[in-house]
Amino acid sequence: MAGIILQDVDLEFRVDALKHDTFRSALVRFLGRRTSRRIKTLQSISLRIERGERVGLIGHNGAGKTTLLKVMAGIYPPQRGLVATEGHICPLFEVVTGFEWDASGWENIRTRALLLGMSPGEIDRRIEGIGRFSNLGEFLDIPVRHYSQGMHLRLAFATSAAVEPEILLLDEVMAAGDVAFIDTARRRMNELMTRASIVVFATHSLDMLPHFCERTILLRHGRIVADGPTREVVQRYEEAEAEAPGAFAEDARAGRAGGAPSAPASSAK
Amino acid sequence: MRAAFGDVARSAGLWHIWVRLGLQDVRHKFRRSTVGPAWIFLNLGFLIAAIGVIYGRLLGQDMHDYIPYLTAGLVIWQYLTSSVSEGAHAFVNSEGYIKQISLPIYVYIFRCLVNVAVTGAISFAVFLVVAALYRVRVGAGTLWVLPGLAILMACTLCAIAILAHLHARFRDIAPMASVAMQMAFYVTPIIYRAESLHSLRWVVDLNPLYHLVEIVRRPLVAAEPAASVSYLAAGLLLAALAGSAAGIIAYYRRRIVFAL
Repeated sequence: MAGIILQDVDLEFRVDALKHDTFRSALVRFLGRRTSRRIKTLQSISLRIERGERVGLIGHNGAGKTTLLKVMAGIYPPQRGLVATEGHICPLFEVVTGFEWDASGWENIRTRALLLGMSPGEIDRRIEGIGRFSNLGEFLDIPVRHYSQGMHLRLAFATSAAVEPEILLLDEVMAAGDVAFIDTARRRMNELMTRASIVVFATHSLDMLPHFCERTILLRHGRIVADGPTREVVQRYEEAEAEAPGAFAEDARAGRAGGAPSAPASSAK
Repeated sequence: MRAAFGDVARSAGLWHIWVRLGLQDVRHKFRRSTVGPAWIFLNLGFLIAAIGVIYGRLLGQDMHDYIPYLTAGLVIWQYLTSSVSEGAHAFVNSEGYIKQISLPIYVYIFRCLVNVAVTGAISFAVFLVVAALYRVRVGAGTLWVLPGLAILMACTLCAIAILAHLHARFRDIAPMASVAMQMAFYVTPIIYRAESLHSLRWVVDLNPLYHLVEIVRRPLVAAEPAASVSYLAAGLLLAALAGSAAGIIAYYRRRIVFAL
């Protein structure tokens, strides 16, 4: 029985950790009793996704879509709140990382499939099909460092798409593919989406969203501002956009959320 | 703490993943080189020839004892330095995986151990050749190498875990650790023998790395167990490393992904 439950999840990034803290800065902070700068990327997120649901995630860049997916995937442990998931999860994002650059396409398929939870026997059975689906032909024999970005995408997508997970977490992956690939990928995603128990799909393609997802969540500054039937939520997003173009993005830059309590860019103890 | 331990246990259970990744790392180290893993042999061979001739003469050593002693020491030492330098990068090098696949991150610690252990095992072949050439004594006592190796590997596993966490957060750790190992080389009897230090012998006796090397080297070159104090010291070192590793894991475990 697959399911995702998030309760009051807060997630923040410590800025100095992102800048690769040095001993000196850690010492200065310790002596100065200064707490590090924090950026709140998710704030009191609570949601419940049941078996059979296909959920869209929309919002501006930096609204927290990818971060939310990564929390669901168990990659980011939140500082506060509860995350409970049931079922085999397959994340599909940031596809241009996580390659063994010197290994061939075939080897990368194997490694990736293994990491995604396929058994070695299953990989043996399916690797042919994955290679065919990637449509990379002879390129599969050469190291992936010689691949173009679109080819990386094909390889990663073909592998992840073969996993057939119960919970599929997708982050707008099709941006870098060519037209033919986008077509295949879309078909495959359709298949996956009908087979997976749960799909969560972060995207900017508002027009295709209603075909995939009946429910959509709108994020803004790491908060859920709307959660409901896709058409209504998309409409709300578009209306807000029409009234004040880029308002959401403006807010993000200014570091304040209209109505919602603001996220302090820095906090001092 | 219990959750951290569960993560480590779960990672260990995913052995088919980290064995594959680790072996792949070994293969890729030499992928585009003509002689490939033979570089491991060449490197050691030249070192042994150069050090053996110069220092063997300088220190007035009997070559029949000295060359096997030197070889065993160098093989063990190279294993230690590569665990330190590769260990520090265990998480950093696996960043791409850590950020997009939700496997417990200790998979990448074990991956690193496989990498350095297999490389070490390959270079061990050099010792076998040298041992055959110089007719090193082999007997029941040689089996003492097994507990020695077990302690050595457990120590390096802990060291990799410690350094990987720290280096993910503080990027000065890797160069610092490699400088430390360079310095440690001079106070660890690899080229010379502990006995040659005479009144300075205590420096070596206080060096836990000496004991760690001893418990593997002595059974190999003399077919006898190392001094019991060496086992005690190595055991204490392992306990200290395991304790620090547990503490660091419990503290940093959930922050690693943010530090990468």
